[in-house]
Amino acid sequence: MIHANQLVKKFSIRGESLIAVNEVSFQVSKGEVYGLLGPNGAGKTTTLRMVMGLLEPDSGWVSIDGKVTSNDSMEHRKMLGLISTNDGVYPWLSVREMLMYFADLYAVDLALAKVRIEELAKLLDMESILDQRCSTLSTGQKQRVTCARGLMHDPPVMLLDEPTRGLDVVGSQTIFRFIELLKERGKAILLSTHRLDEAERVCDRFGLLHHGHMQYEGTLVDLQNATGQTHLTDMFIQLIQSPANA
Amino acid sequence: MCLKELRESLRDRRTVMTLILMPILVYPLLSMALQRLLIGSATSKQEEIYIIGIDDEKKQSRVDALLTEGQNLLNAGTISPIPPIEFLKKASVSGDLVKLGSSKEEKNENDQSSFDPRKFRLKWIEKPNLTFAVEQGLIDVAFTKLDLNVVSLRRGKTQSFDVEMQFRQGDARGESAAMMLRRMCQLINDQQYEALRQNIDSNFSPAVEMKTIGIGSSVDPTASIAAVIPLVLILMTITGAVYPAIDLTAGERERGTMEAMIATPAPRFALLLSKYIAVVTVAILTALANLSATWVTLSFGGLGQALLGPRGFSLWTLIQILPILVIFAAFFSSILLALCSFAKSFKEAQAYLIPVMLLSLAPGLVTLMPNVEFTTLYAVIPLLNVLLLSRDIMSGTPELVPSVVAVVTTIFYGAASLVVASNLFGSANSAMGSQANWSDLIRRPTKAASSPDVGTFALYLAMLFPVLFVVSNLGTSITKDASLLMGLNAVALFVLFFALPMLWLMYHRVSLSNTFLITDGSEAGLSPSKRIARVACMFLAVLLLASSVWIYAVEGLLLFQSWSIAAQFPDLEKLKKDFMSIPFPWILLTQAIAPAVAEEFFFRGFALSAMKTKMNTVRAVTLTALLFGLFHVITGNVLSPEKFVPTFLLGIVLGATASLTRTIWPGIVLHFSHNALVLWFSRLEKDQLTRWFGESEHIPAIWIVAGGGIIIVGFALLFLASRLKPNT
Repeated sequence: MIHANQLVKKFSIRGESLIAVNEVSFQVSKGEVYGLLGPNGAGKTTTLRMVMGLLEPDSGWVSIDGKVTSNDSMEHRKMLGLISTNDGVYPWLSVREMLMYFADLYAVDLALAKVRIEELAKLLDMESILDQRCSTLSTGQKQRVTCARGLMHDPPVMLLDEPTRGLDVVGSQTIFRFIELLKERGKAILLSTHRLDEAERVCDRFGLLHHGHMQYEGTLVDLQNATGQTHLTDMFIQLIQSPANA
Repeated sequence: MCLKELRESLRDRRTVMTLILMPILVYPLLSMALQRLLIGSATSKQEEIYIIGIDDEKKQSRVDALLTEGQNLLNAGTISPIPPIEFLKKASVSGDLVKLGSSKEEKNENDQSSFDPRKFRLKWIEKPNLTFAVEQGLIDVAFTKLDLNVVSLRRGKTQSFDVEMQFRQGDARGESAAMMLRRMCQLINDQQYEALRQNIDSNFSPAVEMKTIGIGSSVDPTASIAAVIPLVLILMTITGAVYPAIDLTAGERERGTMEAMIATPAPRFALLLSKYIAVVTVAILTALANLSATWVTLSFGGLGQALLGPRGFSLWTLIQILPILVIFAAFFSSILLALCSFAKSFKEAQAYLIPVMLLSLAPGLVTLMPNVEFTTLYAVIPLLNVLLLSRDIMSGTPELVPSVVAVVTTIFYGAASLVVASNLFGSANSAMGSQANWSDLIRRPTKAASSPDVGTFALYLAMLFPVLFVVSNLGTSITKDASLLMGLNAVALFVLFFALPMLWLMYHRVSLSNTFLITDGSEAGLSPSKRIARVACMFLAVLLLASSVWIYAVEGLLLFQSWSIAAQFPDLEKLKKDFMSIPFPWILLTQAIAPAVAEEFFFRGFALSAMKTKMNTVRAVTLTALLFGLFHVITGNVLSPEKFVPTFLLGIVLGATASLTRTIWPGIVLHFSHNALVLWFSRLEKDQLTRWFGESEHIPAIWIVAGGGIIIVGFALLFLASRLKPNT
């Protein structure tokens, strides 16, 4: 479903070139959760933004459902849903109004959008807050609204950028249930996180990014064999401490 | 989309406060304050009574005679020959004086004077206290001396009044009373002279006889008041638009909704347009609320006629002003959106907007000055044009041409800034944020770079601006010699635009040869014949461009001169005379060679290379030309807006030349030739010009068309030269 091929992105900071993502490739199939893992500054968000079409890669390409995104970025955006920790809400709009706004931006039919809001409200346990102003919501409620917003156009691909950051155990639990649900619905999910324990719990395959490079890629068993470590956390510590990456 | 933006804006208490509460509260309060002020000033005008202090009750008759005679003469407006000091005979010791501290009623009852009591009132104060009373403002003037002297003449005797008067300098009442009394004495003396003159010879006339005649209408006080109202309305409209503009752009970024929004398939321009419509709607609603509040306040508060004359603030004026405010709201909203689209946070957006708001006050102050006419030039200056147009509508005298120009240019500026905003809005750079901070801009990089980045250039430019201002003014304060001044300016230009940028770039480890296009990179690998062809093409192109571009530069200047800009420089003739007396080679060195080298290195080297790291060539060339044009406007101690269009166009030609040839040298030759031709042209005498162009004050159309054709051929040659490749 998602195919990233040899993605490279450089930034110029004060005349100095910084390679944020260097020849990163991976694939995510339908019904699969792919964990893009790495410490802060590893290049996860930049990779995600290139997949989203918000940043143009300096070289390489991304295809969604076999179509290269740069050829029709608007069309491929309809296939993507984005949920990010950094996402906020509109304080002066009600939850329903905000969801209707995003349905409009994704050109979802008005009647369908209304039905979908009710469905998502039931699914994410937010029926009671639908007509509440977003400014009055708790952090967990806001995160649920963000999840609903990402699903308003029922995209086949979901991009989740650190979805549990800032949430308590209960909030994180809701997100895990949400990811399970997306998986059940056959969506291809690209999850970027630095919470390795969570990744281990929900991801089917992993890509370990460090300094913009894809260091390891595969299932947990593949990674265990490659690194000789049992847990993702140990793998990571080994990765960061290895002399080649210091 | 629009609905969401409007909901968001209109539900926000801060927007609603500016929209409704401000007009409802501010205008009536302003009206009340103004009413109070007007009533105060009207009362003081009607009952302006000057209080004169004298130290001796017995001298009242003298003052009485002086004032009565003086007032009669002032009222009559002419003087008749009356024998000298005839009026003094009227003086007699009569009546009581008003003692200091007594009430008005008492004064009126006691006032026996025959002069107009509405003008002057006398107070008796003991001599030692007279000066003190003036100092304290208890009286307006004091007659400290009122002696009647007998003067012996060759034939008989005469009397003379010896008067000494004190008043408090800087005190409006005191100065006004003193002026009136001086005028009275002058008239009495004139009367005496007239009698003397007729005694000597009726044909006798004084050495100088001057009659002063005031031409035209006196300054209409309602005009500046009429300008205050649009200024307040426009400032309130701006205030109304500011908050939604920030909230819907920088605010989206700050609360983290921007990324989700721009990740949708909705086109960015559509997103921006919906925000624009929301901001304009709020601005228009604010304008409408303010306009209605002003109308209600002026019409029902009784201030309309007092401020705007007999027409008052009619409903028709309101209907005329409203579309102007709508156009202004549309224009300023796009400016606000463009600026806010740069910002990543509310705070940053406010930092950008505050200077713009303060700058907006400057044209407002211009409109408050008396006798500022709404000319075609002013009609193209943003904001000033709207203010002047509204002022003229308020005072009922709008002229058609500048009015149309103002409306059209305002719409154009609005559209242009909307295009800029749509390019900036949600762009990767502004959405993700720049990681550079101020210390990064000054810190020396560790690695070498092939081109300077925009930050390096912008910081140099920011430092250059104040230095340039000081240097421009410093020259004129050091010397008045035009020749020396030219030399100094050339040296300053060379240092600021050539030497220091070089050092700045060396400090930043930027490749000089690449930035300044010193080496012709395109020549590498070309066969000798192609090299010759390339150089020949470039040479011919430069020749053609140099021979044609100046036509547009000169015509641009002439056009602006025909809009009477030159009238602002009364010593233009002297400047031209000075200019003619300087040897032409010196002029060429300082005004053509030095600018050609320094400005090309700076604008087509430093600036263009920096711009190209962030944008495509067309935008980089346009932006550089814009800077080049603005630089010519601000050089010197007087703004020269007439230089903008010609230098901007020249900047485009030079930028395109540098980009096509990928070397700086053809541009330098072209710049030099252009300046040299314009300088030579400006030294021609009028009859030579007439021989060339006929009686017209403009360059003949045929020259302009031919020039355009030559420019096209020149660029075609440059394009050809740029297409020569080693493998073809």
